[in-house]
Amino acid sequence: MNNPENGYHISFFKPTTEQARFNRNLVIWLASIWFVAIFGFQIALRVLEEPTPEPSYLAFQNAWQDVKAGTADAQDLEDFGTAALSVLGKVAIEENERTLLSTSMSWAFFQLLTPDQQIPMKEKVAELEQIESGISDIRDMGYLQAKGNLVEVTAAVFNLDRNDPRTMILPIELSTQYPAELSEEAVEELPGIMEKYLVHNQSFLTDARFLGFPFHYFYTAVFLLILFVGLCWLYCVRADRRNLILGIED
Amino acid sequence: MKKIFIFTILLTTPFIARAASAVTELEGDFQTGPAIILITILVLFVLVGIFFRAKNTNDFYAAGRGISRVGSGMAIASNWMSAASFLGMAALMYGSGYHGLAYVVGWTGGYVLLLILMAGQIRKYGKYTAADFIGDRYYSQSLRAVGAIIAILISIAYCVGQFGGIGLMFKWILGIQYAWAVIIGGAVVLAYTLISGMLGVTKNMQIQYVIIIVSFLIPLFILNFKFDYFWLLPQIGYGSVVSDVVDGIPLNEAEQLFNSLGHEFAVVASPEYAMPWDAATGKTFFQWIAIAFSLMIGTAGLPHVIQRFYVVPKARDARWSVVWGLFFICILYWSAPAYAAFGKILSANPEVGKLAKDAIVVYTAQLGSVHPLIVGFLAAGGVSAAFSTVSGLLVAGSSAFAHDLYVKVINPDAKPKNQLLAARLGTILMAIIVTAIALAKLALIGQLVAVAFSLAGCTIFPLFLLGIWWSGSNRQGAIAGLIAGGLVSVIALTYFVAGKMGATLPAHEFVSYWLGAWYFAIFGAPLAIIVNIIVSKLTKETPIEIRKFLVENVHT
Repeated sequence: MNNPENGYHISFFKPTTEQARFNRNLVIWLASIWFVAIFGFQIALRVLEEPTPEPSYLAFQNAWQDVKAGTADAQDLEDFGTAALSVLGKVAIEENERTLLSTSMSWAFFQLLTPDQQIPMKEKVAELEQIESGISDIRDMGYLQAKGNLVEVTAAVFNLDRNDPRTMILPIELSTQYPAELSEEAVEELPGIMEKYLVHNQSFLTDARFLGFPFHYFYTAVFLLILFVGLCWLYCVRADRRNLILGIED
Repeated sequence: MKKIFIFTILLTTPFIARAASAVTELEGDFQTGPAIILITILVLFVLVGIFFRAKNTNDFYAAGRGISRVGSGMAIASNWMSAASFLGMAALMYGSGYHGLAYVVGWTGGYVLLLILMAGQIRKYGKYTAADFIGDRYYSQSLRAVGAIIAILISIAYCVGQFGGIGLMFKWILGIQYAWAVIIGGAVVLAYTLISGMLGVTKNMQIQYVIIIVSFLIPLFILNFKFDYFWLLPQIGYGSVVSDVVDGIPLNEAEQLFNSLGHEFAVVASPEYAMPWDAATGKTFFQWIAIAFSLMIGTAGLPHVIQRFYVVPKARDARWSVVWGLFFICILYWSAPAYAAFGKILSANPEVGKLAKDAIVVYTAQLGSVHPLIVGFLAAGGVSAAFSTVSGLLVAGSSAFAHDLYVKVINPDAKPKNQLLAARLGTILMAIIVTAIALAKLALIGQLVAVAFSLAGCTIFPLFLLGIWWSGSNRQGAIAGLIAGGLVSVIALTYFVAGKMGATLPAHEFVSYWLGAWYFAIFGAPLAIIVNIIVSKLTKETPIEIRKFLVENVHT
């Protein structure tokens, strides 16, 4: 590399000295490990993934045609309502989607009640809505009591298990302002919304667990960082050793 | 004496913190305890800045080249661990799940590139600033000036996100409006950068690192312990939290576990949180790859990061300081996803409402009923993280202004006193510009910072990479490559700004997707490198002095 006869040329891919060759080989090795470890794994995830529906999505699919056609039985309405509730329980959903899901779920909920049951239930839900609109702190005792009164009775309508976290969400998401029939917008939008939130890209890499993590999550969030520190450490050790052997001071 | 000073300050800070007391609310008025902690830490920074202040230009630019490897590693980490790392990363994962990990990988993986391709060689080149290197290597005053301007633009873009973070935390602590919070925070960080210069900044960064990491980790230990996860190593313990978010937590498993609003520690199964490029997040595989790639090459092209290698005595120290720096950085990066995972469960009940994502770290601690003073310390740590980075950026930007533009281009006969004055004027000007942009709240902190990375990846990274590793890269090639990279940057940023202003440009959706503001370097950087190579091959060879310098000083 430092031979004056070659006109002082530096080229990573055409090293002219032993030191330069060593350096090139080391860089290529480490960069290859680095590249494959990061991008190779993500590509593997992409190749192996399968769209995997949550149980709620399967229930929704079974019920949807009948719900849409207006021929849904109690089981269909229950499946539809609880599937909508599964999405409402997720933290990051768009506000317009939340409104659509909430009203559709409320519609299914009240369809499951007889006219005699609907009136007192509507009164209780309306009471909760009224209290909620007048409080600034959700720890208000009156509000908590009204909500608590609704938890068990509403969960029973959807046949929710008492340990199901959706039981806590149901009274909050119920609305008395639901349509008499599913709106056109709901019929059009709901299948897409449900698929968006209830179908996920999964494979054995995402389903396996390691140290409590989903494996792919551990690999990306923890292992890759360890690898980066390890690669840097290895490079420094090898560079120091090479410089020592070649008697280079820097 | 100085060590005793630092030791005393670090020792007394927790006592002052303990003396303060206040009730913390998710959103509220002035919070006395956290405010006292914040003020104490800021006073500490200024004192350290005064104690270790710059005495001449050599001190101001490069800390007298007397910083140890571990010390430099800490400074690298502190300089790096900005509001984007401290607040923004958890925000990205909270909002878009696995997609947020592209930022974690991008912001750490780039250090491998930086080390194996550049760190030692940069130090051997022996310049003060990135523009210095560009000007000398490509034997062009014009390129030096352009390099300086790019360095200033990158610093400004990077600072905008930081000022946003400072604003959010000042707003939370002081109970004032966001705009005032940005202005007050900006004024304080400006004052202390002006007083201290880089020597004070470097020493400050080491102290800031300790404050940042301690404030970040304490709430995590508490959250893991409180909610019955493996707390001895929260960076591993939170794995079960992620799995719990994916599988859901039934109510009977959450008995006696509540958030601060009284909701059960239960959640509906939410696989979208951890599954890759989930439709629910609206992010794609391409975006994951593009962000990770852009952030990595951007890391190796950021002027304020590159500049850190000038402050170590030897190239060997420059290399080892990267290892230490990355390790210190990873301690925080291993931990940040835990806040997002806990935040997901603790805010799962719709009654919690929509939380400002960029403050999710603090909200998570609050919702987890962590003691208000510890939450206050956490918020002060967030401010500290932003401060440490902003000070480094302001020094890098002002160095580019004073050293590369004023002295090397405008007034070569400038006296050292005038140089320092120019640096300080440049710092003030930058702070004013950044404050004005930060007030517009254009995007999440992490996303705003990613813009700076793509800009660096498209412009400075190719110049350094080819400048170091290929003597055939000449001035004409550099100019052509810079134009290509710059053009891609301008297109991407024009579409981004137009979109923010509600305007629609031709093929808006297509361009905004493939040249997103956070990841346009995925196309810009390779294009700049290819153009540089082609034009260099077609034009006059690099002068023998430059090639000789590369061979004898940089690669031997």
